[in-house]
Parts: sequence; structure tokens; C-alpha cells
Amino acid sequence: MNTRTLRRLGALALLVASVSVASAAPVIIVNKALEKEKLDAATVKAVFLGKKTAWDSGGRVILAVLKSGPVADDFLKASVDLTSSGFNNQWRRLAMTGGGTAPKSFESEEELRKFVAATPGAVGFVDSANADASVAVLTPAG
Amino acid sequence: MKIPSYRKHARGLGFATLIVCSLLAAKSRASVAIENTDVQIGGFFSQGYLYSDNNNFPTKDVGGTWNFREAGFNVSDTIGAHLRVGAQIFEQSFGNIGEDKVILDWAIADYNFASWFGIRAGRVKYPKGLYGEALDLDVVRPFVFLPGAVYNPILRDFIASFDGAMVYGSVNALKGSFDYKIFGGNLPAIGPAKGVAEFYNNAGFYAGNVGSISTKSVEGAQLTWNTPLNGLKFVTSYSFFTSLASDGPFYAYPVVDLTSNFDRFSYTTFSAEYTVGNWVFASEWQRQGGFITYQAPPILPTVGGTSRWDGWYVSAARRLNDKFEVGAYYGSLYDDFASGPGPQGYQRDSALSVRYDFNEHILFKVEAHDIDGTYELFNTARIPNPNPKGNNLLLAVKTTLSF
Repeated sequence: MNTRTLRRLGALALLVASVSVASAAPVIIVNKALEKEKLDAATVKAVFLGKKTAWDSGGRVILAVLKSGPVADDFLKASVDLTSSGFNNQWRRLAMTGGGTAPKSFESEEELRKFVAATPGAVGFVDSANADASVAVLTPAG
Repeated sequence: MKIPSYRKHARGLGFATLIVCSLLAAKSRASVAIENTDVQIGGFFSQGYLYSDNNNFPTKDVGGTWNFREAGFNVSDTIGAHLRVGAQIFEQSFGNIGEDKVILDWAIADYNFASWFGIRAGRVKYPKGLYGEALDLDVVRPFVFLPGAVYNPILRDFIASFDGAMVYGSVNALKGSFDYKIFGGNLPAIGPAKGVAEFYNNAGFYAGNVGSISTKSVEGAQLTWNTPLNGLKFVTSYSFFTSLASDGPFYAYPVVDLTSNFDRFSYTTFSAEYTVGNWVFASEWQRQGGFITYQAPPILPTVGGTSRWDGWYVSAARRLNDKFEVGAYYGSLYDDFASGPGPQGYQRDSALSVRYDFNEHILFKVEAHDIDGTYELFNTARIPNPNPKGNNLLLAVKTTLSF
């Protein structure tokens, strides 16, 4: 294998790595007691915008969100069609006018996942690579 | 130069704000909330500076004033799956209005049966237009002042909240959703110190100032259509006061009282907002007014007429990056029964704003207004304008700490 081929393979590996990073997919994680909850896209939106505050199986919805970063940006864009800034404003507006209880926010996915695992009723999002067996992953229907 | 004592006080508060801001900036990522409990604490503190070149507008600010600050502090708790309780206190100094008196802004018990039906009771924020419930939330917009054509800052304490109950909910339909709010109750006590009193004082019917203002009830509804096009929503709001009455010594003969009464004073507001990427576009139109009667027996028999004014604006805001957001709007407010085409019948406001987020807790804003017309430019003891000019430049600088 000559040097030119090695360079090409290296470039290809970098390309694959960069594509895999760019396409990292956020997933919804919930406390394991909620693994039988049924979600569709509209319900996810209602949950993360504070319109749905209790689970169908009973118990309060406790939101956990990442403060910032590409995972938060991707998830919020896909699920509630808001930027992180717009999402924060939505919740500031609710919390400061008596309209809702603000989400718990976390600096890292690990902290968020541990909180969801330990908190009945908790729901949040992490990159799929960071969802382990301590939490349940819910895939919205439709 | 001798500084009046209230200015020293205001500047002291300003410096205190800067110190607090600096301390928080040093640990800007620290959470102020109480962790691991259901109790949430939040709040904000703003200090600003207003400069107006010709007229005292919207408050007493010709030559500049530091009397431009507000603060709120709230606590809320969730009990079980459906019940939430909370309250916020608020204080404001806005020129000669507010005077840093602490008031109860909202205090609610909210039971959410399902996403389509909930009940909120107590002192509840007043739903009107896109931003009626968020009048004081500096942190959610780039603007220092919401467009005055629809959100007159002088009326802040008149339409901020009501005592009563509201049912609300959200229903998915037509590939989007509809949010509704239906409410009833009455306004908290309205004293002559409130900003709304300037409307009565400015009319010139009273010797000195209006003595009392009251309402019998407030009722209303709001419907929001979150359309299938992501980020686009339309809102319609209607509310009215019954028996909006005032009382005070009649200017022509002060030993008798003049009373005024709107059987029904209504607000009708149509709004649209489109959020796309980092842009937010908004526009609202609002009509307000009603049929008012005056009487001062036995001097003045009952006389009446319609008092009504319309306002609209278009605005655009864009977040440029984590630090900067810019915004602009044009608004027009006009008297439907103006006596002539002169500047006393309209107010046209062009505004440009820049917001800088120092960190997630502290922001700064600078805003400039070019205002044509003198409609709703008061000439009262608290907001004197004995010789109003047709054009006015208003500059506002503001910093807000929130947590």
C-alpha cells in the first residue's frame, strides 16, 4: 500500500468520522418506569412546551434538558422547532408568569441521564450513543 | 453640581446592580435555583436610563432619568402530578410612576386535569395579544419597550393581571394545535397613583387629579392557532371591563364630583408571529375603547360619546449569535375620532434595538425611538408637557439580571 493510498484512506476515515459526528441522533430518554408510555410527535411537542404536564400512566412530567450544545440544538429543532434560545425564552415566559414549572437543565449528557434514571416521571434527551440501560429510550410513533 | 436625592438613590441602585452583575458574571454558570426539590425560585432586576430630547415621553424623561427600573421575585411549587402553586412580587419605578412600591404581581393555584383542560385561579396574568402576559420579561426579547401602539408602558399596572380564574387548554387539530384561555374576575385595586390615572388627569375634567378609578368586572378570551407551518401562529384576544368608572372633583366647580363611566371598555387584538430559524417576525392590531358618559349633577347633566383608538405594529428580531440580538419595529397609534389631521391625533414610532447577553443571567440593551405625533403624550403633574413638540427622540439603555 503506497503513501498515496494511505493518504486517501486517512481522508476517507476522517470524512466518515466527521459524517458520523454530524449525524449523531438525539433520542428521548425516560425513567424506566415510563418505558410503556406511548408518544407521538405532537405529544413530544406538548411535553417539551409545557402543555402536557402529567403522564398518561400517572405522575408528573419532569423535564430535563441540556443547557446548550449541538445535541440540544438538533433535538429542539426537530421536536419543537425552536432554537435553544427560543426554547429558553418559551420557558422563561411560562415560569415567570405562573404558566409552568421550568425544566431542570444540565451541563452534560451524563448528568442528565443520571437524573432521568433516578427521577420518576423524568424525560429528557441525549445523543443515542449516550443512552444506556439505566434509562428507557422512547421512539415517537409516526 | 448638586444631585437631587432621588437621583443619588437611583444611581446608588444602578451601581449596586453593576456590582451584583459583576459578581454573577464571575460565576455565570452557577445555578441559582434550588436543586433536588420541587420548589423553583426565579426573578429579575433591571436598571435603565431614559433620555428624551423634546417631550416627556413615555414618562418624565426629558434630559434623562435613572428612574427606570423594575424587579420581580417568584417562588413556585408543584404538588403531585397536577397541582402547581406560585406567586411573584414586583416593583417598578418608571419616571414618577410606580415609585418602587412592591405589589403582588401574580399568585396562582393551577390544576391541570389534562393538556386540553386546566384551571388557574388567584391573581392571574392578563392574556392579551402575543406578549400581554410577559410585559415585564425583558429577557425574552431584544426590545426595551414593547411597541407602544399595542402595549402602552404607562398602562402596565392596569392590564398586567386580574383577580379571578381562567380555564385553559390545548387541543391538536388541523395538523396544528389550538390553545385557548377563557377568564373572568376583576382588576386589582386601581388607585389614582397608577399610570392609568394619567388618561383621566390628561383629559382635564378634574380639579387636580382623578380621585378614584374602579371596575366591576373583567372578562375575556384568547385563542391561539399554532398552524401546521412550524413557527407560525395567529392569536386573537378579546376582553372587556364592565363599569370602568372614575370619580373626582369637577374642574369647573370642585365642590361637586364628576363621574365617568364606560359600561363596557373593550380590547380586541389580532396578532401573528412567525419564528423561523433565528428570526422572529410579529405584527399586531388592536382596537380599544367604548362609550363613555360623564355627569356632575346638578352642574353637568349626563353627556356621552365614543372614545376609541387603534394601534398596530410590525416587528422583526434576529439573534445573530450567542451574544447579540437585534430588533426593529414600526408602530402606529391613532385616535379614531381625532379632531383634525394634526400630530395630536397620532403617534408613529420607529424603534431600533440591540441586545447583548453578557452571560445567561445578565444582558444589556440599547434602543432608539423616533416618534412622530403627540397622541397619548400626557400633560399632567407627573408627566408634564406644556409645550409638546411634534417629533421626539427617545433613547433607552437597560441592563437586566435574571435568574
